[in-house]
Amino acid sequence: MSTDNSDDTTEHHAHEHRDVEGPGYPTPAAMRTESGREQTAYVMAPRVGMKNDGPGFVGVVDLDPASDTYSELIDTVEMPNKGDELHHFGWNACSSSCHAEGLSRQYLIVPGQRSSRIHVIDAEEPRDPEIVTVIEPEELFEYDLSAPHTVHCVPGGKIVISMLGDADGELPGGFLQLDQEDFSIDGRWEADRGAMEMNYDYWYQPRHDVLISSEWAAPNTYYPGFDLDDVEAGKYGDSIHIWSWDDREHVQTLEFGDAGRIPLEVRMSHNPEETQGYVGAALSSNIIRFYESTDGAWDWDVVVDEDPREHEDWDMPVPPLITDILLSLDDQYLFFSNWLHGDVRMYDVSDAANPRLVDRVWAGGLFGDRQEIQDKEIRGAPQMLQLSRDGTRLYWTTSLFSSWDNQFFPEMAEEGSLMFKADVFPDEGRLDLDEEFLVDFGDAPGGPARAHEIRWPGGDCTSDVWQ
Amino acid sequence: MCANAAAHSVELVRPDGRTETIRVENGETIVDAAERADVAVPYGCLYGGCGTCTAELLNGDVRHRASPRALKTRSLDAGYVLLCIATPETDCRIRIGHGIQAEVVGTPWK
Repeated sequence: MSTDNSDDTTEHHAHEHRDVEGPGYPTPAAMRTESGREQTAYVMAPRVGMKNDGPGFVGVVDLDPASDTYSELIDTVEMPNKGDELHHFGWNACSSSCHAEGLSRQYLIVPGQRSSRIHVIDAEEPRDPEIVTVIEPEELFEYDLSAPHTVHCVPGGKIVISMLGDADGELPGGFLQLDQEDFSIDGRWEADRGAMEMNYDYWYQPRHDVLISSEWAAPNTYYPGFDLDDVEAGKYGDSIHIWSWDDREHVQTLEFGDAGRIPLEVRMSHNPEETQGYVGAALSSNIIRFYESTDGAWDWDVVVDEDPREHEDWDMPVPPLITDILLSLDDQYLFFSNWLHGDVRMYDVSDAANPRLVDRVWAGGLFGDRQEIQDKEIRGAPQMLQLSRDGTRLYWTTSLFSSWDNQFFPEMAEEGSLMFKADVFPDEGRLDLDEEFLVDFGDAPGGPARAHEIRWPGGDCTSDVWQ
Repeated sequence: MCANAAAHSVELVRPDGRTETIRVENGETIVDAAERADVAVPYGCLYGGCGTCTAELLNGDVRHRASPRALKTRSLDAGYVLLCIATPETDCRIRIGHGIQAEVVGTPWK
């Protein structure tokens, strides 16, 4: 069965609500086992800060190995404006509304991180997506919010987007809520943001009345580039925030300090019974596990800690910079990328508090022993990850953020990013780079582009929440 | 006073040395004028927060219409400007290019 149209089928609803149509899967295992192979990828492709700049686009990549255009960029949905910096995106509906009759996973919500403009793309035809709605920046600024980041659909017919700044790009950020059907702005999601100032990524789990958000910095701090003076001045994040999902109130701050500098991607277990997850702290380059303790408060431990490394061309030891992390749908493996060092790591997290490194792939970066693929120099290093639903194929792109790319891997500004694939063997705890697969965004129609977040039409490891 | 007295001519110098001259109306930003003239210049947020449009003022004077939040004082003092909020006060010569933002911030650890 084609995964691209999986939402149109009823096969995966063979649970107690089988007569109810909805946009997702009843359990993480149902998505993992019943959805079939990904046939198409949507890839965010910004052109901000490129030598030949132009509007960014959402790229459509053919992932059907039987197709003549397998491993190629087959279509682009170009944005109407320049300067958006397409970054992260999400669906109007996912498994969190599994039992919501009439809803389908049809619309992609595509924010411009820099422009604060939000685009809505109709992806009913997976290979022929088109923009149907644009929310202009001024409409977001009216709520004193800017810099849209993480998009999750949430129960109750809503979409919630983490917003990193106020209307001037300063702190504090917040959360914007949109209507799932007409994409009108409801206003702010949060009723009381308490001690939260900085925002970045978030995950939520209604079963345990929790939302967990992380911290990057004020847009005016991270937009212009990464300056260590700003870290020393305390302008970058070192905490995550626990919110009551039901009351929409901030309830607790977990402050990591030096043990968790710039905590970015937040991934809770997919199993809705679990009350734990992981956050990757980019600058301190460690993985922190957070969990609900017996008294109902949340606690944390560093469970993976990496070291900076000397490089002959650099003055100071360079941190790995963990920029993305991902949990397989069965919650057995954690993957993360070291964007400066140049490797993707695979950890067995079946013992959640004691991750065990099982394999890694080097490709590009400052230390990768592989600096070429298919006779091309690797531009950038492993960054945004996406895993096949069955957990056997890991894909990644090489761009982090236009201004930071231009500081660390300036060749991407002239020649664009790359998209990679590795084959994962969960039964053996092994990860192998697939050297036959490569998508070169340097060849994009209209000129080279960066490549950032990846999604599958039928939902993926970072899109869906099970209540 | 002539109605055009406040318009200024801005010469944009690209990394390869190629130059283009645009006319910027009184109070207009250089990005708006460049867009109107169909001359490509880098930009992002359009409110002075992101630094994508960072350029180096070689000659002349500009005024920032809003707070140039993306530039630190040392960068402003060194003559860097933000074209999305900059309006010329005199005729100007300005170096533009996608790489100037990174040149201003530098590369940590290097």
